[in-house]
Formats: sequence, C-alpha cells, structure tokens
Amino acid sequence: MIIAGLIVHGLLAVFLLGAVTHQAMSVLKRTPARSSFVDKFGAVNAASYTTPIIALFLVTAIGGALLYPQYRLDVRPTLEDLQMRAANGVFEIKEHLAAIGLGMLPIYASAWKPPLAVDQAATRKYLTLILAFLVWWNFLVGHVLNNLKGLVP
Amino acid sequence: MTSVEPVSVRASRASVESAGRMIFSMVFAVSYALCFYYNWPMFAYYPQVREFHLSAQLQTELGPPILWYGWLATAALVSAVVAVVIPRQVAGRLWPGLAWAVPAGTIVAILIYEKRWFL
Repeated sequence: MIIAGLIVHGLLAVFLLGAVTHQAMSVLKRTPARSSFVDKFGAVNAASYTTPIIALFLVTAIGGALLYPQYRLDVRPTLEDLQMRAANGVFEIKEHLAAIGLGMLPIYASAWKPPLAVDQAATRKYLTLILAFLVWWNFLVGHVLNNLKGLVP
Repeated sequence: MTSVEPVSVRASRASVESAGRMIFSMVFAVSYALCFYYNWPMFAYYPQVREFHLSAQLQTELGPPILWYGWLATAALVSAVVAVVIPRQVAGRLWPGLAWAVPAGTIVAILIYEKRWFL
C-alpha cells in the first residue's frame, strides 16, 4: 500500500513539475518565440496552467502528508541511526517548503485570475518562480530520499 | 433578467478579494515559520498509536510525534483570522510585491536556520 502511495505521489509530482516549469519558463521568456525546443517550452498559455498547478499541488501535498507517518516511523529513525543528518535536513526543508507553497496558493490564484492585471505581472512572475523552485526542491529531495539505499553504499 | 455588473465594481471587488488573499499568504508564511521555530503546533499526531493530542508536550511513551500537521493548522488559523480582521482598505494600500517578497524572505530565513543539519 505504501509503495502504491509513493508511486502515485511521485507521478502527481511529475505532472506538477511539468506544469509549473512550463509556466515558469513562460514568465521568464523575454524574446519572441523562436523555433528552439526551449523557446517552444515557454511559449504556452501560462494562465491556463494555474488551476491544474493548484489542484496538483494540493493533491500532491495531501498525498505527502498521508505518507508522512510511515516516513516518521521507519525512514527517519533509520537515517538518525546511520547519522545521515543531511538527508534528514533536506527532508525538513522539503516539509517547510511544502507548507510555504500551500500558504502561497491563495495569492498565486488571485495573481493569475483572468483577466490578467498588467500591474500584477511582477507578482505573477515571482510567485511562479518561487513555486517552481520549491516544487523542484521537493521533487528532487523526494526522489533522492526514496532511492537513498541505492544511491549511498 | 440578468444584471450586468459595472467593470469598476468588478475590479474593486477583485482588488478587495486579492488584498485578503495577499494578507493570508503573507501571514501564513511568517506564522508557519514562527510556529515551527517556537514549536507552537495546534496538536501533535503520534503515528505509532494513531492518536492526536492537543498538548504540544512531548509524550515519549506514544512514540515519535508529527508536529508538522499542527504547525500547518496553527498557521492556517492565525492567517485566516488576520486576513478577516485587517480592514481591506489597509490591506489594499500594501505594496503588492509583499505577496512574493514575504514568502521568499521566509524561505531564505528557513534555509539559513536549517543549515544546522549540514554543519
């Protein structure tokens, strides 16, 4: 059951990562769309990603919260026994970033609400970039910790 | 018969709504950081016995606690109350950049504090 939960959590995180990266690339785009892959990656209707990002963030965070007890009972004590402080530390940061992200969702939704206000462009840009940063952090940390046994001899 | 809302009324309502959300998000970031720094969970969850306890006092006989749920709940309650209590006119006068600057500053503060794990 826990493995199925981890896989679903990981898959939702992949969708979230893709959506928020598209949106982040689009707010960073400065030049008119050209034909390279990177240009096309950012040449999307960024506002249309907002609702899926919010929904995916919520569902992924809830999934993570449901998996957390197993981590607290089995994984964390093992990391402590093995004195892997850095691994515990990156997870601590992951939970804090998830919390900050949850709190940011109301203003993020408001900033991207159509019709997009011109005077909120900077707010939209930085909120999206912060959200992208914390989603990337949490994704990478989650995967590294999940595979730690194979990564660290 | 349908009534058409004037654009100015709609914009004003959106601005008021946005101000409330901005207050919530700003206060949430700060209050969450304070909750975890000072350990103010609304409750603690003990997964080994599957019990919630309102007391933040550590009860070692119940196994390891999860305080994160409690910190989230405290921060959500505090920010919701502040977002409701602060007058919209006051909230509307705040610099819009605070919406991202406060969470960004909180993240930096958390990263600085958590570097203790890597020393």
